[in-house]
Order: sequence, then C-alpha cells, then structure tokens
Amino acid sequence: MSLNQLIFRNLKKNLKNYYLYVFALIFSSALYFSFVTLQYDPSMDEMTGSIKGGAALRAASVLLVAIVSIFLIYANNLFIKRRSKEIGLFQLIGMTKGRIFRILTLENFLLYSASVIIGIGAGFAFSKLILMILFKIIDIDMLAELRFSPEALLQTAIVFAVIYLLIMLMNYLFIKRQSILSLFKVTSSTETRARKLSIFEILIGIVGITLILTGYYVSSKLFSGDFTNMNRLFMAMIFILASVIIGTYLFFKGSVSFIFNLIRKSKNGYLNINEVLSLSSIMFRMRSNAMLLSIITTVSALAIGLLSLSYISYYSVDNGAASSQPDMFTLADSEDAAAFTAKLDAENIDYSQKEIEVLQANLNIGDIMDSALEEMNFDPANVSMGIVSDEALEEIDAEADEVLFAGYNDALGRFYNFEDEGNITLFSKSSSMDLRYIGLEKQSVVPYFFSGGGFPAAIVDEAVFTQLQNDLDPEIQLETSTYIGMNIKEEAQYELANEVFNDLFADAEGMNMSRMNSSASQKLVMGLAMFIVGFLGLTFLITSGCILYFKQMDESEDEKPSYVILRKLGFTQWDLLRGIQAKQLFSFGIPLVLGLSHSYFAVQSGWFFFGNDLWTPMLIVMVVYTGLYSIFGVLSLMYYKRVIREAL
Amino acid sequence: MVILEAQKIYKSYGNKFNKQEVLKGIDVSIGKGEFLSIMGASGSGKTTLLNVLSSIDHVSTGSIKIEGKEITSLKEKQLAEFRKKSLGFIFQDYNLLDTLTVKENILLPLSIAKVSRKAADSLFHSLASELGIREIEHKYPNEISGGQKQRTSAARAFIHEPSIIFADEPTGALDSKSASDLLNKLSELNMKRGSTIAMVTHDPVAASYSSRVIFIKDGQIYTQLTKGEQDRQAFFKDIMKTQAVLGGVQHES
Repeated sequence: MSLNQLIFRNLKKNLKNYYLYVFALIFSSALYFSFVTLQYDPSMDEMTGSIKGGAALRAASVLLVAIVSIFLIYANNLFIKRRSKEIGLFQLIGMTKGRIFRILTLENFLLYSASVIIGIGAGFAFSKLILMILFKIIDIDMLAELRFSPEALLQTAIVFAVIYLLIMLMNYLFIKRQSILSLFKVTSSTETRARKLSIFEILIGIVGITLILTGYYVSSKLFSGDFTNMNRLFMAMIFILASVIIGTYLFFKGSVSFIFNLIRKSKNGYLNINEVLSLSSIMFRMRSNAMLLSIITTVSALAIGLLSLSYISYYSVDNGAASSQPDMFTLADSEDAAAFTAKLDAENIDYSQKEIEVLQANLNIGDIMDSALEEMNFDPANVSMGIVSDEALEEIDAEADEVLFAGYNDALGRFYNFEDEGNITLFSKSSSMDLRYIGLEKQSVVPYFFSGGGFPAAIVDEAVFTQLQNDLDPEIQLETSTYIGMNIKEEAQYELANEVFNDLFADAEGMNMSRMNSSASQKLVMGLAMFIVGFLGLTFLITSGCILYFKQMDESEDEKPSYVILRKLGFTQWDLLRGIQAKQLFSFGIPLVLGLSHSYFAVQSGWFFFGNDLWTPMLIVMVVYTGLYSIFGVLSLMYYKRVIREAL
Repeated sequence: MVILEAQKIYKSYGNKFNKQEVLKGIDVSIGKGEFLSIMGASGSGKTTLLNVLSSIDHVSTGSIKIEGKEITSLKEKQLAEFRKKSLGFIFQDYNLLDTLTVKENILLPLSIAKVSRKAADSLFHSLASELGIREIEHKYPNEISGGQKQRTSAARAFIHEPSIIFADEPTGALDSKSASDLLNKLSELNMKRGSTIAMVTHDPVAASYSSRVIFIKDGQIYTQLTKGEQDRQAFFKDIMKTQAVLGGVQHES
C-alpha cells in the first residue's frame, strides 16, 4: 500500500468517526467568515450610527477565534492520542518520525482545508441569513444584501491557516516527544485506574461543595447592602469567582466520586446494571477529567449568564423606556409642543397633552431611608429631588401634610430602601416643612431628567407645592421646570405620530424625546450585544458539546471490554443502553446543571442593572441552551448504541 | 442426566466464496455434575466450540440443547435471559469490571436475577470463604493478584448456581501455583456443589483435574479420555500421551 493510499484510507476512516469534528470546523469557519463579512459590510456602520457595529463584531470575531482555536487544538490532541498506537506501529515497521509527521500533516490538511472551504461557502450563503437575523433582532427594516467580501475571505483564510499551523506544531511536538513504547501505552495511562477513595479525596470533595455553596451565598448577598463600599464589593466579587471556580474544580475532582461512593457504600456491593454503568464509571472518570470539566462548566456558566443578561436587557427595553419616559412624547417647552400638536392636528391624530410643573428642592429623608451608599457622597439628610403637585396628576392625591414618592428603579433599589412610612423634611429656600411620607409608587410620573436620574420624584399636596414655589432655591432649579408629556390615543397612529415627531425635531432633538425612538436605539445596542453574545455562546455550546462527545467516544471505546463482559453475563443490549442513558445523564448533566446553577446565581446577583424582568428571559435562555446541549448527549448515546451492538 | 447436548455442530466464518470451516460436525454431551475439559492445538476450534456451546456465538448448523432447551433458535433477548439464568463464565483474562470492587463484581449476576439483597449477601459470604477471597472483597481488580482475580471471576461464575459453567483457559494467565490453587478450588466446587463445568485448555495439568477430556483436531473430535477411578497423576500421563499422538505442542511440567 502506498503512502497516498494510506492517507486516503485513514481519511475515510476518520471522517466516519469525526464527523462532528468536521461539522464543528465547518460551523466555526462559516460563522467566522460571516462575522468578518458583516464587519466589512458598509451597511453595518451606516445603520448602527453612533455605536460602531463593525468594531463590536471585530471584538466578537477575536473571541470566536480564541474559542475555536482552543477547541481545535484540544480536539486534535484527543485524536492524536487515540491514534498513538497506529503511530507507534508505523514507527515499528520502520517509518521515520518525519515521514509519519508528513502523513499526518497531509491527512489533516485535506480534512481541514476541505472543511474550511465548505465552511466559507456556507458562511457566504448564511451571511445574508445572519444579517437578516441581526436586522430582525435590532428591529430595523432594511434589506439584507448578499455581498462577497474578498477582505473577509483573506482574513478567514489567514486565521485558519495560522490555527492549522498551530495544530501541526502540536502534532510535531507530540510525535517528537514519544518513544515507540510510550506510544503504545498512551491510551491506557490517560485515565486514572480504579482505586479506593483516600481520606484526602473525601476532604477535597467536601471542600469543593462547601466552596461552591459559600460562593452562592455570598453572591446572593452581593447587592443586598452588606457590602457598602466599592472596595469591599469588588473583593466580594473576586471571592465569589475564586470560590466558585475552585469549588467547581474540586467538585469534579472529589465531590462527585465522594457522593457516588457514598451511594455505592450504601448498596453494600449489590449494584444493578444502571449503577454499574453510571456510578462506578463516572466516579473515576470525572476525577481524571476534572480540569476539562470545570473549564467547560465555568465557560458554560459564563455563556448562559451573559446570554441571560443580554436577553434580559433586550427584553426589558420597552419597559425601561416606559419608566424613564412616562409618556409617549416628552417636549421641552410649549413652543415645541405647539408646533408638534399643530402637525398632529394636520395629520388628524388624536392625542392628549399634560403639563406638569416640576420643582427642585432638598429633602431630609434620613428617617425613611436605609442607605447602603455610605461612601458615595450621598447624604440622606440632604437629597435633591423633583417635586410635583398632586393637582397635576389625576390618579394620585396627597393630603396637606403627606408626601408620596413615584418612580422606583430596581437597580438603584438594591442600594437604598425606603421604609413604608416615616417623616420627611422639605426645605424651601428660607424655611422648611415637616411632611409625612406615605409610600412609594413604582410607576414614574416625570422623566428621569426631572428627577435626578433614577431617583423617585416626590408628590406633594397642591398647598405645599405653592408654598415651595413661592420660596424656591434658584440655584438647584433646572433650566426648565415644566414637563410636557403627550400621548397618542390610537395605538395605530402611534407610529405615524412618531414620524411626524422625527420630521419636526430631526436636527434638534435636545429635550424633545420620543419613547419609541429611545426604545429603538436601546434595542439597537442591546440587540447587537445579544446577537454577538448569542452567536459566541452558540459556538461555545457546539465546541464544548463536541468535546464532551469526543470524550464519550473515547470512553465508550475504553469500556467496550466491559460491555462484552456484561453481555456475556446475560445483560441485553437494552439493559446496557439503559445504563448508558443513566451514565450520559450524569456525564452531560452534571456539567450542565452546575453551569446552569452557577449562571443562575451570577444573574440573580446583578440582573437588576440590566432590566426589570428576570425569570422569563433567563428561563428562555436556559431552556434553549439545555435543548441544544442535549443534542450532543443524544448523539453520544447513539454512538454508544453502536459500540454496544458491536460488543460480543 | 444430560445437561448439555450438542449434535452435528458446524461453524464457518467468511462469505460464500471464502469460507473457513472451523467446526465440522461435532457431537458433545455433558452430564450433570461433570467436569469436562476440551483440549486441542491453537486453531483447532476449541474456543469456537466453547463460544457456540455457551451461546455467545451462533452455529452455522446443528443443534444445542441445554437442559432440554434448544438454544440455537433463541432470539438475542431470550439468549441473554438464558445466559444470565443458566450459564456462568470464567475467562483467561478474568473479564472483571475494573471499576467495580471484588464483591460488586461477584454480585453482578445476582443483580440481574433480582435476588434479594439479603440472600445475595449470604450467598456471597459462603462462596467467598470457600474461595478464600473474603478479605479482599472491597478491593478493586487492579489491586489484587492474578490468582485472586481468577478466583473472583470463578466466584462470579458460581454465585447464581448456573446449570453449567464455561471456562476458557482459566489458568492461561496464571503462574503454576495460582493455577493449581484455582483448579483445586474448581474441582472442590464441582464435587461439593455438583456444578457442571466445561473448560477449554491447552494445559494438560489443568485438564487432569477434570473428569473427562475431549480432544479436538481440525474442527472435529479426535478422541476423548475419561478419568474414571485412576488418580490425577495417571490421568495426566494419559493426557500427555494422547497429546503427543495428536501432535500438539509438547509441554514440560
């Protein structure tokens, strides 16, 4: 058999085994190519306007390359180890290391270049689809055009060539370092052999679980006011990261074996088939793969966390806009308002207009406020707030000595809490009034601009308001003290009204704001972020799924003798398959569940900075992630099925 | 009483054009409580014979009845059921599961048969004491010696009291001391429990522990020897003589 035939045969054999590798390679090159194509697409910068979409995509593509190259190098490592026997055999029959290296290089080159070329083709075809997805997410009506970019092609080719060279370098080092003897032994020494659990490992197991739980506990306390200064907050975050990551590692290193061992002990030697195939095998394997598994778990947690957060932001855009701009249109002064209403009348659009006088005054709210902001130059005894009269608001009424707060923001809410009631002092320029605080309305009544950016506005009785008006402190007043809000009565005319607004105030938007516009611009930013994080997360999901799958492939080959024994003992294929199902549930499930719970606690501790709905977006992300991830579990199960069928 | 009855077994590998006949019409019957050895040179078909007798491999033609039940026509699922109830196995390379302790390995056949945990425990204790592996019950296979592994494997074969135990070169990987230890235990169990054993071996010493030896050459039964009333040494000499005639590999020992 000539060298060429050998290469060709190897290739054919490998293709069958490594179709997932090829798939991952095609997928990642396709994704990379389309990202780069988008990045060079002129429409990118046009549409994203102020934020540079191209730049964001460039950063994403760098990350993509990092993920992909780590994956490819790792996968290659697995494969070359699997083939070490073959390499040893070649050496034994007198091939030089250089020659073997040339065979491998050529073989890989064919596989690799073919996949990358297919990937680029697919990437080109899909770049339109991807662009369409992006436009859809960021709510832009634009036609996605198919455009081939030679720069993108060149960049993709260079990047993947570099990765290829890197892989070849690893192969070269691997072949060079190994002797014939050690090559034959590689597979048998990769997994630790079964032995008794030592006290030390039990200890590691307990410490691992404790560290993770401690991390979770601290994360739940992170923004609840226990860490009052920035320094301590930062330290706490570092602590959480360290304890969870180290905990995860120790969990795989010791806890899994420890827990499984306890279960086994309780069975007193009497294991059923499911336990034989799952417990006893995983117990030893997790320990030797602790590093890999903890990396996968941590990065999955990161991916799920970021996906959830970006989805939360995206999901909450409309809500967020509503709380920062209580009415559909905010107009700076009566002139602009008159101009706008004239146009609206011309277009026959029904609207309602309201004007609210907002004064600025200092208040002492020390009595009702638990401040966590000790070191943030914030003094509850002297807070500047926007003051609104209850006359201006239809739904709210305050008695003569009462005051209400309106407009509560979840994020800031983590730092301060208001008592249900208490006493407040309102300072006018020369005197002060004692008022009774009676509660907090979540819905804001004036835009953030009037209420000091996220802090509530205070609603007082008309009498108090007039008193304050007569004795204002001019220094703290804003340029304008009248808030003009406008709402369109018919939902159907809203869009038209917004167009009118945009025509009118195209050049000088300034203090004139449209809720629809801010919503859209928010969506643009959040949508782009979500788009990028989404595809990065998908790449990571696929690569890590592939790695786990390859690992399982290896394990199934390793365990084949056991299946032979078990089948000889009289277990049917179905018995074994059921046991393997249990095993895969753990093999894929443990990293997944741990990753999900890590990300849950991460998101839980800080989601309120990103939006105002936690559960729906987070659960959607988690379910989708779990679903896609399970595909790899099912694929590995199918592989096992084949191995089991062939055993005996 | 006959436990196993095989008639005219043929087994061939390969396809129509390139056929390799390994078994060419073998008739065997094994009685209850018998300790049978199957001997033959490498390639004579003895392991294939054991595999088809034990339902691991299918015959090309012929019939095999174990306890009056025809096994050649059984479906995969029924075969597995049959194996787990009626058969025990001992192999040259032990075939223990590395990830299970000695005790867990031994109790494996009971867990398929759904024997109660308490009954399993008492079965284990009596058998493990007989085989002298009580003190290693919590060890893993790679922590014990070859002889101990093979005794563990033997214990696993005996624990569910199968109608017949198949042993494929059980002493092949053992030193002579461990081998004779194991064979003594096997014949003890054969006597005491009345278990039926069919063992493939190329070692005349091992064969001399059994009560009958079948010699196979080129896929056919060449001859057979019965121990009868003679002692082991005499039986051993008989076996050596036959083997010399057979032209098998000469063994010194």
